[in-house]
Amino acid sequence: MNSYPPELLVQLAPVMFVAGLDVAPTGKPQDAFAVLYQRLREALLAQWKPTIWQPERSKTFQVVIVDKDVRFPPRKLVPPDDPQYPSSHSPLSPLTPSSPLHPDGLIAPIWIRKHTNLVPSVLVLFLRMYETPLHNPRSPLDVPDTDRDREREQEERKRDSELAAEVALRKKSTNERGIKLTVVLIASRKMLDDLTLDSRLTFIRRQSGLDSRAALFVLSPVSPSELVEFVSSLQQALYEPAIDYYTAHSKRVRRKRNRHSQAPAPYSIPTSSTNIARPLRPEGWTVRYEYKMGCFAEFRGENEVALKHYQDAYEMLVIMFGSTVILPPRTKRWAEAKVLSDCINIKIGKLYLYNNEHSLALSHHSTHMRKFGDFSRGWGIGEDTFEFWSWMARQHRVFAELLEQGTNTTLVIPEHRPTALMNNATSIAASTYRGGAGSTLEIETLRSLGLNPSHTLQHPGFYYYMAAQCTEMRREKYLVAVDAELNQQIVTSPSFTNEKKVQHNAIILELYTKSYELFKKYSSTSENSTQSRLTLWIAYRIAQTYYDSGEFGMAVRFFERIAKTYRREKWDIMLCPLLSTWYTCAKELGDVELGVKLLIEMLAQDTCESDELDPSDLEKDLVALLKRPLSPSSERTLVVDLSESQPLFDACTVFWNAEVQIGEQATFQISLTAPKTVTISSIPFSSLVIHLSGAENPITVRHIDATNSSSKSSASIRMVDLGDVTHYKENPIEVETELRWKPGNVLVFCGRLKSDAPATINVTKLELAITQDVWKVQIPCEPCTSRRGSRPVPRWLCFLDQPHFVPIDREEFSSITFKHRSPDIGVTFRHNSPAYLNEEYPIDISVINDDDRRLNVVVDVLLLPSEEDDAISTIMMNEQRSSSLIKGIPFGVLHPAASATKTLYLTSSGSPANRVLDISVRSWMVTGDGENPEVDHNAALDYDNAFETLETLVVPTVDAFKTSHNVVYRRCSHEWVGLADLRTFDADFWDDRGGEAVIDFRIESAGPWTVKVESIVLERENGPSCKVIDSSLDCDEDAFPSEFVPGDEYGDVCRIGIAISEGEAEQGLVPGPGKYVIQWRRIMPDDEKGTLSTSIYYLPPLHPPSDGLIALLKLPPVATLHVPIPMVLLIRNLHKHRSANITVHLETDGQDAFIVAGLRNGRIPILLPGSEEKIVWQLVPVECGYVKVPRIRVVDRRRTLPQTSGGEAQGEGELVRVVDVRWRIIPGQRYSICFFILSTEAE
Amino acid sequence: MAPNLRLNAVAFVSPQNHPILIRTFVKQDEFAIKYHYIAHTSLDVIEERVSSSGKSAECYLGLLYALEDVAVYGYITPLKVKIVLAFAMADTVIKDVEVNMIFKAMHMAYYSAIANPFLKLDVPVDAAQDHSPYLQVGSAKWKHFRRRIDEISRVTTRVVGHSSLP
Repeated sequence: MNSYPPELLVQLAPVMFVAGLDVAPTGKPQDAFAVLYQRLREALLAQWKPTIWQPERSKTFQVVIVDKDVRFPPRKLVPPDDPQYPSSHSPLSPLTPSSPLHPDGLIAPIWIRKHTNLVPSVLVLFLRMYETPLHNPRSPLDVPDTDRDREREQEERKRDSELAAEVALRKKSTNERGIKLTVVLIASRKMLDDLTLDSRLTFIRRQSGLDSRAALFVLSPVSPSELVEFVSSLQQALYEPAIDYYTAHSKRVRRKRNRHSQAPAPYSIPTSSTNIARPLRPEGWTVRYEYKMGCFAEFRGENEVALKHYQDAYEMLVIMFGSTVILPPRTKRWAEAKVLSDCINIKIGKLYLYNNEHSLALSHHSTHMRKFGDFSRGWGIGEDTFEFWSWMARQHRVFAELLEQGTNTTLVIPEHRPTALMNNATSIAASTYRGGAGSTLEIETLRSLGLNPSHTLQHPGFYYYMAAQCTEMRREKYLVAVDAELNQQIVTSPSFTNEKKVQHNAIILELYTKSYELFKKYSSTSENSTQSRLTLWIAYRIAQTYYDSGEFGMAVRFFERIAKTYRREKWDIMLCPLLSTWYTCAKELGDVELGVKLLIEMLAQDTCESDELDPSDLEKDLVALLKRPLSPSSERTLVVDLSESQPLFDACTVFWNAEVQIGEQATFQISLTAPKTVTISSIPFSSLVIHLSGAENPITVRHIDATNSSSKSSASIRMVDLGDVTHYKENPIEVETELRWKPGNVLVFCGRLKSDAPATINVTKLELAITQDVWKVQIPCEPCTSRRGSRPVPRWLCFLDQPHFVPIDREEFSSITFKHRSPDIGVTFRHNSPAYLNEEYPIDISVINDDDRRLNVVVDVLLLPSEEDDAISTIMMNEQRSSSLIKGIPFGVLHPAASATKTLYLTSSGSPANRVLDISVRSWMVTGDGENPEVDHNAALDYDNAFETLETLVVPTVDAFKTSHNVVYRRCSHEWVGLADLRTFDADFWDDRGGEAVIDFRIESAGPWTVKVESIVLERENGPSCKVIDSSLDCDEDAFPSEFVPGDEYGDVCRIGIAISEGEAEQGLVPGPGKYVIQWRRIMPDDEKGTLSTSIYYLPPLHPPSDGLIALLKLPPVATLHVPIPMVLLIRNLHKHRSANITVHLETDGQDAFIVAGLRNGRIPILLPGSEEKIVWQLVPVECGYVKVPRIRVVDRRRTLPQTSGGEAQGEGELVRVVDVRWRIIPGQRYSICFFILSTEAE
Repeated sequence: MAPNLRLNAVAFVSPQNHPILIRTFVKQDEFAIKYHYIAHTSLDVIEERVSSSGKSAECYLGLLYALEDVAVYGYITPLKVKIVLAFAMADTVIKDVEVNMIFKAMHMAYYSAIANPFLKLDVPVDAAQDHSPYLQVGSAKWKHFRRRIDEISRVTTRVVGHSSLP
């Protein structure tokens, strides 16, 4: 921006002149007024700093401190009383011959300066009010001294008149120019309270002719904060007059413009060779007026108006530039106009940016550059001139500087994220686009479609970067011009001499550095502290510039940093030019070591295939460097670490086997493949050092010059036998071969290896060494590495007919594991399957050492959890009991052919299923001789080296017995104990009204094995609701022990008394009141008895019949003809709380086989809960055979009672079931009650 | 009428930020390296966009930056392969829909190229997590990928150019 006159760029603000604040330059402590003046000056001057970026439109003035009797520049050259005054012009007008613009200038910066520094819109005059000094303290008792008062008044009046006269004089001069005059009277604080102040002020104003509004202020010394308030209120008050002032100017200019545009085109002077001055053309006048109006609008803070005028001025300027007649190129006026157009362009851009119209600003700027770029071609300063690029660079730079200034305060660079595509684009666009006036519908829709990349504003770093690029072009073109000059061609450009003084590289560096800093600033939002790639790219440009300007040291420092990232991310193509420039720097710096390092790295970068480079160039350079006698800083070995960049060789280490047994030989191959695109055949590699893991001693392959084996070295694949390297740990091994590679050649080193201890061995490091004279260069190399960055493909070189590679298809190919031979161990199990539940089932585990070494054996047993939840099983071995894992059962040291057996007991409960056992036998060699008592201790230590033999054992488990049962319920048939019978209160009284159940329980020996049952006991668990009355077991005590072969059954019948449960729900199940405990042993096939096992079987839960009312019919099963028999009907009310109203009907029939004596129809007394009623009939059978007894109907009428109470009709009640107690009643089945009558007489 | 969308270069960058393929469609070969720089530097902006937009990120990242005479657009596949397009700068609106379409086509081209089972032929068995076979897809050995990209470029320039005609 410094290349443009600041007047044309700076933001304009109303100008206020302040006079009368002169401070006496005394070093003494000042009085209150001097302090006040000083503070006022500071406060006023702080209001506005002339800057380019100042978008706020608060009412602030640009304050200029002036002398009290400041004079304004004359409006016209002639005094107003001159008769020529109306026809004369301003001293700056092109029409005034003495003007710098005469005759055809447009606008000079001096015009702006006039309005910012010489002519104000407001003049503020600070004046001190006269105050009569107090000569003695007045006492209230004093008589008012009328003389003195009058004297004082007169003095004041005199002084005030003088002041008013001074103001009036000033007022006259300001009125001429339409400038507002404001007087601030300074008075002491005491004066403010004086009663005469008002009248004095009125007097002064009238006398001086000041305006009534905002023209007279009084100020006394106040605190700084109050002063700030005063200053702002002063500005508030004066802002409107200032605006009026500039509006008046605008109006005047507009009048002139209108007059001008209506006037006919005045004259057209043909272009003549004589360089006579031509007056300004109408286009020029339009530019002039529009520009002025723009400025005045800017003064007023009306940015939109200013923008419009500036745009008009710019358009007109473009038209002017379009014609070489109007503006002949390369003239003074042309150059001025060019500067003006650049500045207007910046102003327009700035005004757009104030309004957040980023893309409009950028598009105007780029249009400007394009238009004037096109013009430049016409002017003969096209792209191939340094002037063009200089100008371009300047445009980019100015724009960048404007943005930078803006972003320092209010400007926010917009983010260009794509809005959510396709759907609902407009609404999102509206929300994301935060522009003020930009949020018009048109822009919204455009935004939703996409954006114009050339109109997307980015941060200033980009424009600095562009400026730097243009400056680079400028330098390039300049150098072309310099060449041309050297070739005795005439350089026509007039600015060539100037250009020679320009430090191009310094400018480029400055621009790149600025760009770099801005890129850094704007990328700092991302949290990663590492340098971003954009800055790296600029850093690379900076380094290049340093290189171009010969500062190689600086360049090298940059290259070092940049190369790191490029290497890491494998952008080799970008790395190549960097490396070669770097190498040139190193050459220039004479840094041989760096040169060697870089050359080796470049050799490794075989992607640097550029056409002009001979593949052997790098190699030649390297060999030449190594021959330099220059001692590389003492005797130190130069290590070239290529771990970050590409390796020089494709290296691959392959072992034929993944693991071998101790004592066996392992073979390996290390292949080194040379790059294909560069030659390295003359690099004097002196040795290759192979480091194997676990030892300091390396295997060294030394180079010897091939003497007779020239044919061999030319083979593309060579094999070098390292021999048996088993003893690499003890003594270093050296081999000799030719270490030279032709492009793409492969050198394979193969070796054999043994180990007598378990170990994992790999190749840790390869080191190539170059030794030449004093040079010692070491190139470490990974044992497995590929130039492409991918993992190397493992291949094994075979020589059958011709060398070829066999792929090794294995995950871990670059290391070998030596292992002990796995011991030969036999594991057998002996058990009699299936196992019974509840039995301690013995499983013999035998381990036989079939090996020829002594082995220590330990067994772990894991019982896998069963699928059924309730199956709880335990295993026991060596007094260890567990439900899952028994660990570390020692079997001791087994000599060859010895065996050991231990018994594992498996106890299964729950349901029969398969039990699965995992048995792991671990064994390892015992080294010491003889019986070693410490073996067990070692065992724990040596677990890692143990060999494991895993066996899985499935044990089917079945139940030893099968049980079945049958339950029959019997009602209590004898009479009940009366309700109030005292016996029922006895502690041991058993209420047998619930009847009893008869359980027939059968136990069957189910398994395939014979068991010996030691005992079967019914363990009674009598409860309140039922009890075991008796069991057939009780009288069969001597039945046990007895042997049960499979299929044998044993039955027990037991009677269970059931009580009527009082409190519980009647429908509930009654748990069985006992269990059968069977103690048994299994009889093994060899007649051996197993351990005593116990199985338990519970009595089944009972379901006693439950009914409320029941009628039990008791009859003898057999009767004799004509012999009477009793028929008893017991009606019981088993209901808890309801009484029953029972009627009994005996329905006789003519065909009945009986003669009945007894109740026919009758109602029995109300039956209370828990009571019974007995009705007896006498029956005399009169027929033989199966006969039916008369039908008996028992009806509970309780429910129907309300309906039947009124009528005598038999209301149907609830039928009560009549049960023949002789027979078992199975629910759901119909029975008829029959008799079998025997005819004894007939017999 | 000249097409307004001119594809200058396309770059495919692996999730580890290694270049897979950088293909330029401009004549001057000496500028080819410029597009390497562009692809590399645009990774910055891609990373920034991806990290700031969180999980709900779309593949299409929009205009990354405009520099010199190219406008650089970015795209990131769900598996973090980055695709960068460099268009010649022209004073017209570039529609996001169109650019996204080209990106999708490029993505598909890459996708079908890495589906080539022969890519993994020379790769060690355990390299399931290894991306190096995908880097190979850009090498000159696998012509189909390049051919397909070239075709997309050609079609793009033609079709988009026509579609923008009034």
